[in-house]
Amino acid sequence: MLRSETREVVSIRQIGIPRALYYFHYHTLWRRFFEELGFEVVVSPPTNKQILDGGLTTCVDGACLAIKSYVGHSLALVAQDVDYLFVPQITSVARQEYTCPYFLGLPDVLRQYVPPSTQLLSPVLDARKRETALGESFVRLGLSFARPTTVRRAWNQALEQQRVEEESAHQVCAEKHRLQILILGPRYLIDDPFLNGNLCERLRSMGAQVYTASQVPEERSWYLNRSLAKRLFWSSARRSMGAVEYFLDRLDGVISLSPFGCGAESLVGVLIARRARERSVPMMALNIDEHSSEVGMVTRLEAFCDLIERKKSG
Amino acid sequence: MKVTFPHLGNAYIAIEALLEGLGHHPITPPLGTRRTLEWGGKYSPEETCLPFKTILGNMLEGIELGADSVYMIGGWGPCRLGYYAEIQRIILHDLGKQVEFVTLEVPQKNYTVAYRRLRNVLGNTNVARLARGCRLAWAKLKVVEQAETIALQVRPREKWRGATSLFLEEQLQKLRNAQSMGAVRRIEIDTTEGLRSLSDDSTPDLLRVGIIGEIYTVVEPFVNSRLEERLGYLGVEVVRTISLRRWVEEHIFLNALGLYNYRSLKRSAQGYLHRFVGGHGLESVARSVDLAKENLDGIIHIFPMSCMPEIMAQAILPEVSRDMQIPILSLIVDEHAGETGFQTRLEAFVDLLQRRVRVGECLQEERCTLG
Repeated sequence: MLRSETREVVSIRQIGIPRALYYFHYHTLWRRFFEELGFEVVVSPPTNKQILDGGLTTCVDGACLAIKSYVGHSLALVAQDVDYLFVPQITSVARQEYTCPYFLGLPDVLRQYVPPSTQLLSPVLDARKRETALGESFVRLGLSFARPTTVRRAWNQALEQQRVEEESAHQVCAEKHRLQILILGPRYLIDDPFLNGNLCERLRSMGAQVYTASQVPEERSWYLNRSLAKRLFWSSARRSMGAVEYFLDRLDGVISLSPFGCGAESLVGVLIARRARERSVPMMALNIDEHSSEVGMVTRLEAFCDLIERKKSG
Repeated sequence: MKVTFPHLGNAYIAIEALLEGLGHHPITPPLGTRRTLEWGGKYSPEETCLPFKTILGNMLEGIELGADSVYMIGGWGPCRLGYYAEIQRIILHDLGKQVEFVTLEVPQKNYTVAYRRLRNVLGNTNVARLARGCRLAWAKLKVVEQAETIALQVRPREKWRGATSLFLEEQLQKLRNAQSMGAVRRIEIDTTEGLRSLSDDSTPDLLRVGIIGEIYTVVEPFVNSRLEERLGYLGVEVVRTISLRRWVEEHIFLNALGLYNYRSLKRSAQGYLHRFVGGHGLESVARSVDLAKENLDGIIHIFPMSCMPEIMAQAILPEVSRDMQIPILSLIVDEHAGETGFQTRLEAFVDLLQRRVRVGECLQEERCTLG
């Protein structure tokens, strides 16, 4: 009896998930899956100066702000002495699409910065050929920790919860607001208020209704991209383009948020700007890096909102 | 049709032959200058990498010379290069240039468009002419590469400074005008012998430095400020790991057929980088390991600013450098790269390598005398 109890205590292992990059898309899924498998899930605290500084001093200087923040979050988790660090190698999350070249090499890069006592769990998530491959990778990962039935059940429950959450995000509230503004860009920037200088809250306090690409159902996003002469092969770029088409009729302005040096955004920005110009919707591009100051951004936001107001009043 | 295309080192010599085989009139844009970059940069999104801007500049200069078609390669990610062509097509269209923009890539769906494109590419030609053009282009590419490789060995040993580059340029122009396989072969022999005769065999052992990185910046002398020549004049024998011919074989033909599997690269990069990261990222890591095993004195890693695959490689290379005891210099180029700063860094790097060799020799002597 006593012996089985001690085994129980030992078998509760901590798994650390950095609060950065695709965490913002899949936190429900990941958390539920690992909890069902009997892990104690430790998520790093919301980005703060200390975490970001850890990433900035460690990571290679050419990488974008989001990657540096990811490295910072991972180091914060290592400092908390977790047993495992979940660093998936996300090649692709949708058929025939890629995420970003940075994500492909991320586990290999992180391995240098993490002490050998922390084990990296990095399943390869690659849905380029078929989307069921994502589930298979998770199940394969789970099998080294639990019995097949448990893993299968954990995966199904996690997937269901993720689906419910995504669908609830699609409901766009129809409140009356002065301004209707769409924020484009990778979700890991939009959802991280520290990195984007609290952009969404600021806009809301200026009386704007904020839309994002995560409110667009995936099938609609695919469908709305059909008018492009060549389809976009980065998921975040395709979603941005879909969101522009989806919300275009009701928009007063578009803000395109991108980390400095982001390859996908630098090209899709051209397409978005062109589409916005056609419909004469004002657009502003905000480029973020570790030197961005909040004051400068506030000034630009205010000027942008003023411009929209003037345009609306004719 | 009058077809223009972007530059990639000396590949234009082969591309011209190929286009003639396809029944087109090639319009080669002038070699890259400040004007190319300024013109291209003016209409490019500011955050795209340097190759995008120079390539757009090439296209604009080609159109200025009277081209009515632009050929450019495409792809399906994850590197940005795959979407370059589409954005460049839109930019040219918005500038009001009346050109036929042809993206050469494996079609995905849209097969009717692809078929029309193919009809367009196969201009006024016949099978015999096409076969001859392809053969000539491939042979010319081979000679170009062979000559460039020999020049890399000869340049640091040349009898008088600048002789190699001058002779090479002269031979390449002859090659450009060669119209038959026989002529190409004659030029090949002339060039090889001519280059060898320029070499001063009494030169002592030289430093050997490998160059890795993104293919465009490695191959295009305008973008890398003639890196190979600069190193040659500093008395360094350059080992180039990127071959245009191999790139065409692996990335264009095999990849299009889905047969290219990076297996040998992955084997080399084992323990450092385990997956393809787009572009030449995996190549850079794998080749640096290979070069270190070949006992080179140093490695130079060059890539355009904000190139995502190469930044991943750059993050991993320090580990290779530490494990393999080989100095690696990362050079990042953008439109603001100054030549003087470039030269200073190269000189410092070469000094460091020379010092390392000297210290190593001293240590060895000491060990010998003690032993």
